[in-house]
Amino acid sequence: MFELRNVTKSYLTPKGRRYVFRNLSLAIPPGKNIGLIGRNGAGKSTLMRLLGGADVPDSGTIVTDRSISWPVGLTGGFQGSMSGRDNIKFVCRVYGAEGEAMREKIRFVQEFAEIGTWIDEPIKTYSSGMRSRVAFGLSMAFDFDYYLIDEVMSVGDAQFKRKCRKIFREKLKTSNVVLVSHSMSEISKLCDIVLLVKDGEIEIYEDVIEGIKAYSA
Amino acid sequence: MGAVWILIEPICHLLIFSLLYTMIRGRTISGVEYPVFVLVGMAPFLLYRNTALRLMDSLRENRSLFGYKQIKPLDTYIARVIVEACISGLVYALIVFGFAWWGFDMSINNPLMWFMTLTLGLLFAFSLGMVLALITHALPSLKLVIRMVFFPLYFISGVLIPAAYLPHALMPILLLNPFLHLTELIRGEVLPHYAMVDGISIGYVTGFTLVLLFISLGSYRARRLHLISTKNG
Repeated sequence: MFELRNVTKSYLTPKGRRYVFRNLSLAIPPGKNIGLIGRNGAGKSTLMRLLGGADVPDSGTIVTDRSISWPVGLTGGFQGSMSGRDNIKFVCRVYGAEGEAMREKIRFVQEFAEIGTWIDEPIKTYSSGMRSRVAFGLSMAFDFDYYLIDEVMSVGDAQFKRKCRKIFREKLKTSNVVLVSHSMSEISKLCDIVLLVKDGEIEIYEDVIEGIKAYSA
Repeated sequence: MGAVWILIEPICHLLIFSLLYTMIRGRTISGVEYPVFVLVGMAPFLLYRNTALRLMDSLRENRSLFGYKQIKPLDTYIARVIVEACISGLVYALIVFGFAWWGFDMSINNPLMWFMTLTLGLLFAFSLGMVLALITHALPSLKLVIRMVFFPLYFISGVLIPAAYLPHALMPILLLNPFLHLTELIRGEVLPHYAMVDGISIGYVTGFTLVLLFISLGSYRARRLHLISTKNG
């Protein structure tokens, strides 16, 4: 369950303050897979960051009683000059996985992302596909109630996408996902509810097909 | 290459200034060899300078890590200070062992006070760096100016010559600079016969540090939401 109460979020740009959301209130029912759709720059990623607690609203509160992953995005929450292994270790330590648990997670990510010996190269030498594979695999190594996935699955090749979908189906038995995607087929396959972000407003569609129709219109 | 430069930079400074100084004035200052004299003051000064300047970049360098909600900008500042202190400590130890092996007397006269002053200086550099980081986050164009200001600071902080050699008429103004106090105090604690100039006080540095720390933490508290939002700085 998520509840947004009077949330206002703005960014200070060199040309002045730009509001993404103004006095936004809504409640998202529990136990649903949430799809975020909208045009580029509508505020999907901002909303996701707010839900994940990675960014803070100017005013208002966001309430949830679930554990939520970090936003898993294309750029990945990585320090570019450190190796893949060190980045994975870092996240493990942040989330309290030490010792054998940490080694287990490193093995999992290495195998899932199929990066082999690249794991000891600095992240900044990775291709965008490799980076998003590591980012996605890393989030899958941890158990959350909600996974925040921002476009990650759309960059991989066909084989990787299949792998993602497989592990995702496994995870979705016990967890939920908040998915940002421009691929409507992915949204309709994975999500139960659609949030259309448009002009600083959010429309909730309980029916996914209807939401996609409203977006395409 | 970057790792080698960390070691080479202070050694280059040492060599150049030792050479210049011995040509102009002679080999010793207050009873110690000039390279020892410079090293003792220069190593902490470089540490403090690097700490203060590097904090300005730590937000930009670690921006992607703020996606994890557990990590706050303050963590990156503290981590940077620890990294800088470890690197400087290691380089200093290496040079000291090198000097001792060469035959210089590298003993420290008052090690406890010396360590305390070093720690105080690091706290001062941390506060200063945080203030600078918060200022340049709001006004990024000031970064270059601040870097330039640190260059003359090298010469008026008594790093290369004892503070007693600085112009006496300007002393009241020069003594406003906490770096001068720190280098003098550190020299006084390491070298047994070093005469500090009048007006050097650890109380001044402590007071300055506490005020600056208060300002930096206060403005950090006020600005913390701006610091993590991705669209800024």
